[in-house]
Amino acid sequence: MTRRQFIPLVGVAATASYASIKLQKPPKLSDGPAGNSAVAIIRARSYSEDLVSRMLEGVRQTGLDARGKRVLLKPNLVEFDSSTVINTDASIIAAAVELFHRLGASDVRIGEGPGHRRDTLDLADDARYRATIPKFESIFTDLNRDDVSPIRGFADEPEFYFPNTVLGADLIVSLAKMKTHHWAGATLSMKNLFGLVPGAVYGWPKNKLHYIGIPRAVVELSRHFRNTFAIVDGVVGMEGNGPIQGTPKPAGVLVMGRDLVAVDSTCCRIMGIDPEKVEYLRMAADLGHVHPGRIEQRGETIASVRTNFALIEEFSGLRLV
Amino acid sequence: MSTVGDLYLESRLDFLRKTQNTDGGWGYFPAKQSWLEPTTYATLALHGTPGSDASFDRAWKLVRSWQTAEGSFRPSGQVQGGTWVTAHVVTLATVRGVYDDSVRRSVDWMLSVVGAEHTVLMRAASFLHLLKTKLDVSHEGWPWREGNAAWIEPTAHTLVALKKVAGSYKGGELEHRVRDGEALVLSRRCSDGGWNCGNPNVLNFDLPSYPETTGLALLGLQGRNASELAGPLDAARRFREETKSSLAKAWLTIALRCHRQNVRAPAGEGKVIGDIMLAALEALGHPDGNFPLFGTGGHA
Repeated sequence: MTRRQFIPLVGVAATASYASIKLQKPPKLSDGPAGNSAVAIIRARSYSEDLVSRMLEGVRQTGLDARGKRVLLKPNLVEFDSSTVINTDASIIAAAVELFHRLGASDVRIGEGPGHRRDTLDLADDARYRATIPKFESIFTDLNRDDVSPIRGFADEPEFYFPNTVLGADLIVSLAKMKTHHWAGATLSMKNLFGLVPGAVYGWPKNKLHYIGIPRAVVELSRHFRNTFAIVDGVVGMEGNGPIQGTPKPAGVLVMGRDLVAVDSTCCRIMGIDPEKVEYLRMAADLGHVHPGRIEQRGETIASVRTNFALIEEFSGLRLV
Repeated sequence: MSTVGDLYLESRLDFLRKTQNTDGGWGYFPAKQSWLEPTTYATLALHGTPGSDASFDRAWKLVRSWQTAEGSFRPSGQVQGGTWVTAHVVTLATVRGVYDDSVRRSVDWMLSVVGAEHTVLMRAASFLHLLKTKLDVSHEGWPWREGNAAWIEPTAHTLVALKKVAGSYKGGELEHRVRDGEALVLSRRCSDGGWNCGNPNVLNFDLPSYPETTGLALLGLQGRNASELAGPLDAARRFREETKSSLAKAWLTIALRCHRQNVRAPAGEGKVIGDIMLAALEALGHPDGNFPLFGTGGHA
């Protein structure tokens, strides 16, 4: 395609997504799939607690069966800044590795494809992953530079590429961080799946996803990868100008479940954010449950752990009243 | 007797020699699918060393088979559609001394591609302050993939390739795109002195620069006035001392050497950790390495 041909084509898409200009009225919130979804809110006030036991409690309450499965743990590894709470804490990942071995998984791997930084192994080192997680290097895959294969039907693209490690997993566990996000409002277990997209094909950042539209790309990833489980690290989250420049916000919880939409909606309510105003959750309401009446809250109640996360001005309208 | 510095370089070159795939390319990691990016860096790192001619021939044959009908290059044999890595093939071609119709078509393709933010609609949105960023969208630059926005890394690699091929290419558009690409890089400098991926400010919050993209930006800016680059070179030297990223240190070393800056040689043999791209870049940045192959001969 020549320069003259493509400029008019990208213009509308770029204006709608990259510039975050809303050209369409938000769709009506779907009633969601049949049945209810269980979401566990587990107290964990510090990373030095027995996190494996906490996670086992969450698994028991949400009914996950991982026996014989090839499990891929997907943390949120973003930046070289170990003094902050940008990344999923290393102790959460170490606990999850042990958890899934105890649950009888046939294989447990860790994979991440950071959106901006290319030096994934040194990034993991700085986040103490190498020091904290036994045999880290032998179970870790840099998803940005893994071998890839194409799939069809992703976001109307004729072909879209994913790492073979991702495509070969029976269960993908989103080990997200509970954070505000300056483009999406909040980044939780669904947005964390951006790291499944290979930078070697789509770049750093994975700008293709921005042109698909961030909310739509979040939903498409959740639509395509259905064999998922979420463990959101809300022990200490991030408020304000997240996902990188915000400030630590202790919430003292792990939020877990098989329905990522319901898990993220629950996280939002804990953070004092109305999930029905978060665009990607509205768009994903046919995949999972946003309505509180359709989410069976296990463990702690939302009211007992709710702690409002500070929001930047652009997202002040998301506040849950 | 080998010195520590020799061992640093030789251990990396040996690693690269042993990890070339049977198809002629290199993966990002040993025994993985061949990709154009690590193949380029490994080929450049080994160029001129014993046995490298045959290695280069095999790599070149594989890479050339990935050219698309429109002149661009696919990032690997498994991926359809050309991307920013086309710049790497043009750089390789200049090192190999090849300038044929295939290379010319690649340059034509590169000159046809612009960052998608450089559209009338986006410029209008910028004028009306509707963007969440403070990008100067008047410049074109280059994206990772056609149809996306321009970013520092693909723009920097394309600038290097275009400057290196400029003496062979006939047409005025190249000079204009080089000037404008440099302007884009300069316009996206972060407030702390370096560059990140290419977005220095979001929602009125300044974002920090990254050491690796600072190195890459400086590679793309070779030939600019020394006074213009004094600040960024200071930042690059500082980042090189501070960074925890081996990749960033490698790119900064290459960039500083290409700008004829004094850079300390590696103090030890250093561990080769099985990352082919990193090993190649570390070899390239060694005082006796092939970093001059990223040089653009003072072209500005």
